[in-house]
Amino acid sequence: MASQRRKRGQNRVVRYLILGSWALFCLVPVIWFLSIGLRPRTEIITPQPIYVPTLSLDAWNMIWSDWPMGSYLRNSVLAIVGSVAIDLVLAIPAAYSLSRYTYRGREDIGFYILSTRMMAPAIVAIPIFFLFRNMGLLDTIWALMLIYAAINLSVVTWIIRSYMMDIPQELEDAARTDGASDLRILWEIIIPAVLPGIITAAVIAMIFAINEFLFTLLIASTKNAYTMSVALANFTGGSDGVIYNAIALVAFLAFVPIFVVVVAIQKHLSRGLTMGAVKG
Amino acid sequence: MARIELTGIQKRWGNVWGVRDVNIDIADQELIVFLGPSGCGKTTTMRMIAGLEDPTEGQVIMDGEVMNDIDARDRDVAMVFQGYALYPNMTIYENIRFPLRMRSVPRSEQDRLVREAADMVELGDLLDRKPSALSGGQRQRAALARAIVRQPQMFLMDEPLSNLDAKLRQAMRVQIKHLQRQLKITTVYVTHDQIEAMTLADRIVIMEGGLIQQIGTPDQIYSDPANTFVAGFIGAPPMNLIEGQVKDNRFQSAGVTLPDLPISWDGPVTLGVRPEDCRVAADGGHLIGQVYGVEPTGDMTYLTLKAGDRLIEVKADRDYRSDLDVTCHVTFDPQRLYFFDPKTGQRIR
Repeated sequence: MASQRRKRGQNRVVRYLILGSWALFCLVPVIWFLSIGLRPRTEIITPQPIYVPTLSLDAWNMIWSDWPMGSYLRNSVLAIVGSVAIDLVLAIPAAYSLSRYTYRGREDIGFYILSTRMMAPAIVAIPIFFLFRNMGLLDTIWALMLIYAAINLSVVTWIIRSYMMDIPQELEDAARTDGASDLRILWEIIIPAVLPGIITAAVIAMIFAINEFLFTLLIASTKNAYTMSVALANFTGGSDGVIYNAIALVAFLAFVPIFVVVVAIQKHLSRGLTMGAVKG
Repeated sequence: MARIELTGIQKRWGNVWGVRDVNIDIADQELIVFLGPSGCGKTTTMRMIAGLEDPTEGQVIMDGEVMNDIDARDRDVAMVFQGYALYPNMTIYENIRFPLRMRSVPRSEQDRLVREAADMVELGDLLDRKPSALSGGQRQRAALARAIVRQPQMFLMDEPLSNLDAKLRQAMRVQIKHLQRQLKITTVYVTHDQIEAMTLADRIVIMEGGLIQQIGTPDQIYSDPANTFVAGFIGAPPMNLIEGQVKDNRFQSAGVTLPDLPISWDGPVTLGVRPEDCRVAADGGHLIGQVYGVEPTGDMTYLTLKAGDRLIEVKADRDYRSDLDVTCHVTFDPQRLYFFDPKTGQRIR
């Protein structure tokens, strides 16, 4: 008995040790970024590592005074929120249709939607550039909203669809015999029931959008449309050289809000990510 | 008030038949039970009455009006489902109110009707709860309240008690029958449980393979089965079906001898005899077999005999006990013997 209990205790220690090291490994970039972001510039580029940093808000002050960080932040938030809104408006009815109605080619359509994620973005970069130029949308937030929405639409649709497929048919039949129209059923029964899935899909779309670089770089050319991710690139050139601490700090700032959201909804998130995989 | 006629109803998905040919006339205020094994077409038939499924052929007629092209939500039928189908995001109150809201019942009326319906199923105290906070029985009562709240033309119940435990099922069965009599609403009830069918029904429709096997009152179905399927489906334990030969008005099979048959027949035949129409005798009798199993239930004893390679169920007295492999004599009630054509399964009268 006693030895068994000791063994179980040891197992637990080992388990925590392994999980702890893995967590630390994953967190190293974050810690590193924070540590670089809060050091003076001179301390970063020394050949010998300095383990105990001198705390400095140089980078913080610089990004706000020398750069239009407020605009970047605003552009990021607007483009991301707008794109997620577009995605949800389009994806919820699409997912409902794909999960509930039977019609010729339903599975194919589902696959076509997903296949938009399968090609390398660079392939369509040039056509997209000309498309937006002809529409006069270059260097606007509107273009960013549209392109982020387009990139994420497939994933958002598929996640919401997999949640909707889990809703028993009975629920809809009940609502229909109770006198509800299709739209009512979607709005009052289905959407509340798949809310966790919708939130999950929205967060995943946000993560993709905040990290989007290629198309943003292509579309944005001034602070009108520069987002956080492209702004980072600005710190690498120019007469000041590479401004490592500012890069690290901005990267960290871009990371924090998403991190907070993910922690808040992580239960739903893991379910949303695995469900599609299991159900196909 | 609702009388339902189903005429020549068929349902096919590609090459798969759901319902082959169904003709039923359901009287106003009747409680009719569709009974059959899973996949027999009973639920599909009900869904066609509800308008959730379109018949491939045939007509659904409600009070003389053809309903085929009328949408489910305009048919004024209320459905109760096996999985309750309560809306998980709404409270019980909101669930019961939902059909009233969809039908634009005045707000002042809504509250009164919801409370009346909830009181009828004794859920008055739980109206603020979400369905997830209720037990299975309470959920089913909430689903019932949602169905009765708008006094529909018709109730459709799709195995509403299957998810409940045996004790609760019996209590709910009585409650459903009581409510139906009280509200006088035509009801179609689908089940695979023959006890439920026997106890609830005004008439039973037995289905198998998308076809109606027999329609009749529970008494008719029990004591006058049309074929071997009905005979074998009704009764617990079910009727013994014994294949044998008739020659010179005498039935002969392994362990079974039956003279002076009431039918004129020659050749192979299936004899049907219910376990409750068998009596253990001291000697002689129509059946001689070896005791295979003895199962006391308290109010009676199920006795299983082995005759040839066939097992035959007998209901014996409650104090009947026996060792295994003992030879046992059984007489059949001559008034309650059934004969079937083994080729077609149809009754020989």
